[in-house]
Amino acid sequence: MLRRTEGIVLRTIPFGEADLIVTYLTGDLGLIKAFAKSPRKIKSRFGSSLEPLTHSIISFWGKEDTALPRLTQSDIIHPFKSIRDSLNSFLRASEIIEITLNFIPERDANRNVYSLLLHILQALENQDNPKILVNHYKIKFLKLVGFAPKLDACGRCGRSGTSFYLSHGSVLCETCARGIDSPVKISAAVLKLFTDLTTWDTLKVHRIKPSDILLSELSDIINMHIKYILSKPLKSEAFNNSISG
Amino acid sequence: MEQGIIENLITELTKLPGIGRKTAQRLAFFILSMPAEDAKGIARAIIEVKEKAHFCKVCFNVTDNELCHICSNPSRDRNKLCVVEEPSNIMVIERSKSFDGLYHVLLGALSPIDGYTPDRLKIHELIERVRKDSIQEVIIATNPNTKGEMTAQYIREMLKPFSVKVTRIAYGLPIGGDIEFADEVTLSKALEGRREI
Repeated sequence: MLRRTEGIVLRTIPFGEADLIVTYLTGDLGLIKAFAKSPRKIKSRFGSSLEPLTHSIISFWGKEDTALPRLTQSDIIHPFKSIRDSLNSFLRASEIIEITLNFIPERDANRNVYSLLLHILQALENQDNPKILVNHYKIKFLKLVGFAPKLDACGRCGRSGTSFYLSHGSVLCETCARGIDSPVKISAAVLKLFTDLTTWDTLKVHRIKPSDILLSELSDIINMHIKYILSKPLKSEAFNNSISG
Repeated sequence: MEQGIIENLITELTKLPGIGRKTAQRLAFFILSMPAEDAKGIARAIIEVKEKAHFCKVCFNVTDNELCHICSNPSRDRNKLCVVEEPSNIMVIERSKSFDGLYHVLLGALSPIDGYTPDRLKIHELIERVRKDSIQEVIIATNPNTKGEMTAQYIREMLKPFSVKVTRIAYGLPIGGDIEFADEVTLSKALEGRREI
């Protein structure tokens, strides 16, 4: 059956001599993988349309339940070339790609995640502070897929608290936290930034101007939370740290 | 017994990339009909390359000596250094006969989500070569895709403190192609990289 949909390229894996397995995030089919024949050859008809982050209309051929349909056509809607052209922007975008690939199961459509990714790429293309956008994406994405950390109140009783427990993915009040070790302290400023990043519109989030220290503090909490859920750190985060360090 | 030997050869040949069972069967029977010396020549070449091939200690090209044939050639231009991802890229550039300088093989390209960090590639060795040798131009010839482009940008950043010219191979349309079938990114890169004639 020939299917046609819109998608964003998240990842390509070389296969055989000149073939690729392309992973797309689509609005109506969720995360899908497709086999592209010979796109690595210089005169391939796919051209640059299979480069990561490219937003395109794709056609693919295969049975409805086939794991790897064959990509027959890919027409670029928007290439998001400027993100790929900037080392800093692409490294940040890599964190977005990796978190999306790690949390979403294949063939599980989530139109809200697709829209969020599209909006964040549009924002990344026009702004020069990718770090705040990446944190905004992580927080909103975790909320959409049901893994958001709870920082505003105790996850058990709803009372206020300032100690975040990774094992609970939540802040716990003193009474509920009795007997649980190693919390991460949450300052009022971090909580305010978290709330702003959760509620603000993606295209306006660049108006929030936190200090680097505050943003790093929140970023560390979110990354620890992601690492706890996945039981592994994000490779792209380690990469960014190795470059900046 | 005969069937076992042939079957074994077919199974071994299917381990090669792009060789399915049918092709392997065809190759196996072709090898069977070859003169014995030719078939032994293939077998010897495979054994020799596996036993003797290693990376050149300067540029990381594949060689059976301490230095590869390019690094040890005194007639090469030692002011120019071409950076490539894989040793196989050197063979393609050499075939074009348009470069007479030296090479440096990175043995891969940066990829954050695959965990390919700079320390897994031969980038540190490249910087050391630029620091110690009389290199005046570094030509980055990594693949024209996202990983290759990111690697090129990273190397450019790393080489900024040195007084060396860093260039990137041109992007554009393949010769013999038709503009009508070019995608917008390739075409815009070709327009950006236009030159006066």
